[in-house]
Amino acid sequence: MNAGRRAAAFVLACLALATGAEALAHGERNQEPFLRMRTAHFYDVTWSTTRVAVNEDVVVEGRFRLFEDWPVNLPEPDVAFLGNGTPGPVMARTESWINGQPAIQSTALVRDRDYHFRTVLKGRIPGRHHVHPMINVEGAGPLLGPGQWVEVSGRAEDFRLPITTLDGRTIDNLEHWATGSVIGWHLVWVVLAVAWLGWWVRRPLLLPRLVALDEGRERALITRADRVAGAALVVVVVAVTAGGFLWAEQTYSRTIPLQGGRAVIKPLPRDPGNAVEVVVERATYDVPGRSMKIRARITNGSPRHLQFGEFATSNLRFVNRALPAAVARVDGGYPDDLVARNGLTVADNTPLAPGESRVVELEMTDAAWETERLTSLLNDPDNRVGGLLFCYAEDGARLIANVSGAIVPIFTDNATAMAH
Amino acid sequence: MAARPDLAGEILLYGRPWRRDNAALSRTLDWLVVVIMFIAVTAAFHLHFMLTVGDWDFWVDWKDRQYWLTATPIVLIMFPAALQYVFWEKFRLPIAATMAMLALTVGVWMSRTFGFQMWSYFPLSLVWPATMIAGGLLLDAVLLLTGSALLTAIVGGMSFGLVFYPANWPLLAPYRLPVETMNSLVSVGDYIGYAYTRTATPEYLRFIERGTLRTFGSHSAAVSAFFSGFVCILMYLLWWYIGMFLARVMTVPNRLKGAMGLDDDAAGGAETRA
Repeated sequence: MNAGRRAAAFVLACLALATGAEALAHGERNQEPFLRMRTAHFYDVTWSTTRVAVNEDVVVEGRFRLFEDWPVNLPEPDVAFLGNGTPGPVMARTESWINGQPAIQSTALVRDRDYHFRTVLKGRIPGRHHVHPMINVEGAGPLLGPGQWVEVSGRAEDFRLPITTLDGRTIDNLEHWATGSVIGWHLVWVVLAVAWLGWWVRRPLLLPRLVALDEGRERALITRADRVAGAALVVVVVAVTAGGFLWAEQTYSRTIPLQGGRAVIKPLPRDPGNAVEVVVERATYDVPGRSMKIRARITNGSPRHLQFGEFATSNLRFVNRALPAAVARVDGGYPDDLVARNGLTVADNTPLAPGESRVVELEMTDAAWETERLTSLLNDPDNRVGGLLFCYAEDGARLIANVSGAIVPIFTDNATAMAH
Repeated sequence: MAARPDLAGEILLYGRPWRRDNAALSRTLDWLVVVIMFIAVTAAFHLHFMLTVGDWDFWVDWKDRQYWLTATPIVLIMFPAALQYVFWEKFRLPIAATMAMLALTVGVWMSRTFGFQMWSYFPLSLVWPATMIAGGLLLDAVLLLTGSALLTAIVGGMSFGLVFYPANWPLLAPYRLPVETMNSLVSVGDYIGYAYTRTATPEYLRFIERGTLRTFGSHSAAVSAFFSGFVCILMYLLWWYIGMFLARVMTVPNRLKGAMGLDDDAAGGAETRA
């Protein structure tokens, strides 16, 4: 590359930085596969819209299940919080609910149980933002649901977040609430500090004082006026502090401490008919073929005939396109990149009768394993695959089963891997 | 006025005649040192403050009656105490604590404005910093009036801990008004912290008062302030001596002088002058 081209490339790179090149999502694919496959499985997630103006709402709603085969290296989800994965506060969260209960506080969640969530986000900073539902679990960190791009239009200056306090005050915008008071009080103290420093700095400071102190002329350094000024300073500081405190007590007479309690939220009731058991016999991932195959013994403990319509893991959905009931469950607003193009193939998808047990082979072949960076699970010390299997009855009812088991990589182009 | 013109071509500074050009040069040095020291203290103290108090000062929904109130003065008194040793013992200047607090105030406002608001979109109502200058002024005034590190530790240190909460209450009180949201009672500060998403700082990470310290009348702030003041006494003394240690003038003789063909008489132990 000649110097001219190098210079041009450098200028282009600088321009890209200066103009704020768009950040693509925020690194959710960098989370280790065991975190994404075996912790919180989100499903039925919807976004009410993907285009809002500043001050308009986006409702993100859906369900999640905390996986039964929770990684041993993560703490139990005893303290969890329903958050939202966004690039910082580009949207204001005005409501969040879990199973109809307010989720403003953290709560304990239960493994192998399902929860419904609903989060209301209000457009604040214009731009194109990747918006995820998210569960934060203490010790395990953020567990992200699927992300959808939401475009916020308008002007950030127009954003308003009003609220009314219990003592009847109407706050027009929390964005700027009481900030004038904060700045004003800071200025009061800064003025006092500058005045005190100025009292001393106006005189020769360093060498003359050092010499005078070495020569024992301390009396010349601290005068009576200095001591009077020091005493006056104490009086002023105490007076300003007390005055400010009393002013605040009078102006804001009814205050409460920060609320730090924990919410108690019960999981959704189990469907008594939701009794499908999946025991993985062998699972392989064909690295060159980008294909996951799971051979599992599935036992139908429900009173319905069932077919297998979808395998979902890490927000990635492998839908059996041969099953209309499963296809119908794919909401048009679900992110395209999280619906695997090739879907789920089931070797024998004849309805599984109530009480019947059968070995079923599931195959999910798609480049999404690579693009979603799930194949790095082969580097995990705890090398297991996890996901949810959605089973459908003839009447459209849906039963959800946990699928988990060890996974074996196939590094050669061996199409008969399942036969081993 | 300490500087008084007495002799032609000379000026009397604190009872000692100085040549005018030397006095002017000394004054220039004063300003250079003042500016450089202010910037250095701003950077170092702010870094120290962010790494220790950190979230308690960053967010309005972390400024609680127990941990924020206890931890902040204890951490804040370290720099002023160490600097007070140098400023007082070497120059008889009772300004170190005020200067440190003013420098920190400049640092935190720069951080909140450029880092938190302009870069990360957090509103000022969520990220405003606490004011810490009142404690610094009291420390300096007590040192000036008593001239004693021990008394400054006892009276000034306790005052430093005690004054923090009432000095900040006018700033904080509007954020402790009660509101009802989602059928729950929270303070305005809680709601602001909830509304403006911090993706990696979920609610449970808040290290805040979850009970009331089981105090009479549930007034945990007073208990926290007194405890903080008590620890400030100890921290002040500790950091005064750390300041003393770090301000030693120490020379280390070059032990390779002989090998370099120079006189190696000076080879020996380190010389230290307090």
